[in-house]
Amino acid sequence: MSYSLYDWNQSLQQRNEYVEDRLKDGSPVVAVSFDGGILLLSLRPEQQRKVYEIYDRLIMGALGKQSDVESLRIAAIDTAHREGFERSPDDVSVQRLVGFALSPAIKRVYNDQTAIPLTLRVVFAEMNRSADEDHLFVLGYDGEFAGRQRYAVVAGTAYAEQQAEEALAAAAPKTLEEALAAALTAWGTARARLAPRAASDDEEFDPLAADGQDDGSAPKTSDDPAVALREAIKDGATVEAALLSRTTPRETKFRVLADSELTAAVAPYR
Amino acid sequence: MPLTPGEGRGDFATLVGWRSNAPDAAPRPAFASPGAISTPGDGLAGTDIHGTTVIAVKYKDGVINVGDRRATGGFAIMYDKAEKILPLDDYTLMAISGSFSKAMEIVRYLRHAFRYYERSQLQPMSLDGKLSELGKVIAGNQMAAMQGIGAVIPVLSTFDRERNEGRIFFYDGGGARFETAEYGAAGSGSTQIRGVFEYISKTRGPFREMDRETALREALTLLEIAADLDAATGGAGKILPVAKTITKDGIEDVDEETLRAVVNDILARDPLASGPNAR
Repeated sequence: MSYSLYDWNQSLQQRNEYVEDRLKDGSPVVAVSFDGGILLLSLRPEQQRKVYEIYDRLIMGALGKQSDVESLRIAAIDTAHREGFERSPDDVSVQRLVGFALSPAIKRVYNDQTAIPLTLRVVFAEMNRSADEDHLFVLGYDGEFAGRQRYAVVAGTAYAEQQAEEALAAAAPKTLEEALAAALTAWGTARARLAPRAASDDEEFDPLAADGQDDGSAPKTSDDPAVALREAIKDGATVEAALLSRTTPRETKFRVLADSELTAAVAPYR
Repeated sequence: MPLTPGEGRGDFATLVGWRSNAPDAAPRPAFASPGAISTPGDGLAGTDIHGTTVIAVKYKDGVINVGDRRATGGFAIMYDKAEKILPLDDYTLMAISGSFSKAMEIVRYLRHAFRYYERSQLQPMSLDGKLSELGKVIAGNQMAAMQGIGAVIPVLSTFDRERNEGRIFFYDGGGARFETAEYGAAGSGSTQIRGVFEYISKTRGPFREMDRETALREALTLLEIAADLDAATGGAGKILPVAKTITKDGIEDVDEETLRAVVNDILARDPLASGPNAR
């Protein structure tokens, strides 16, 4: 059997579509770097954790298949701890971890035509002395990665990520309260705006759709972040947020925020 | 790097192939604070540097650890700013005596092992698990210790959040652990002061009922007695000891001012003292 350039292109396309289809419905993860540290937030439909501590100053969050996320998480923890123990905790950096350990490994799986690509999108954040010095990285299913400053979001589509990051940049949070509020809005944005609204959406008058709304129900698709948040919470999703604290005197800088710390931020969407 | 994790049960020793008596776990230069540099430069390279006296006592809110700052190599004082009370995590302190380099290696290992477990398994290692981990390391070190290199005798203090009380454990050379009701001490000066602990708890009441101030004073007095009776233990008159507490809120340093006031007061009570603290 001959294998043409067309076939190769086609198979690549199919692999990408396979993965992207599955990522679309995932719950986004939002990373916000602010004065007090780095906040990582998501909403989880099930009990499985979504935000993780990787090393002393490294955290990770991901959307995708839980089994794939889990194997990447363990690989990240293994690599970081081995390096931290054999050399020094100071040598464990997100750019080394993502660029030289995780990305090549993911890329190898992606390039293997006989294997199913890892279905995930991951955000990593490394805390340093100030928010300006923090490093954030987004890593994709094909091994591609990109650095970010201050804000990073992983979501169902590239457009959604971009929209959510813009929302964060506009909010420019300074405190934990502001960061929580901004991260929730960004999550809603990433969830609600998977693709740009076609210009015709607003103009075209659809008599059937208009009829359907006569009973006062909300339109079927809304790009309002608050609506997306409200619906997710109504469906039983819980907000999960973790903080990598720049100010704590404790040995452990990471902690998952307690429900009581989230109540105020989540209240508007209940 | 493969994307196939190892055994996935959070065992750090398996991950790094670490055995405390393996050749690659040879002692490394280990000075407590990165800024401090001490260069022996006198042919003592073959000498094992030893930490001396550390003390742990309970008090009503938890546990206090105090330790002198001296590290010796043979009859030489190698280092006068050694940190011998080291946090393993937010609620656990290890006070070290014996081979300084081996102890630092063990601390480095345990810090990673506890955290590796917690991070990979998404739940903290139990207190019993942590105590066993330290026991395993000491047992692994036994052969070397019997040959006279790298013996380490630690005292482990922790705050048990389930029972809401401080707890102190000590180990023998084979890695067996013992829980003490009131106090623990290790190092060259510890045998000389053992009776004093008993005397204090019999005459002043148990340590675990003392407030922080009283327990700190007793512990520092004990340390000063150890310095008087043991050549390898540094006195508080020259360099302030280290004191740390563990309570339900975690580990805290006793601030330098409090420490200095208590130490000055203890030193001033010596009837024959000379120098700035003399009466």
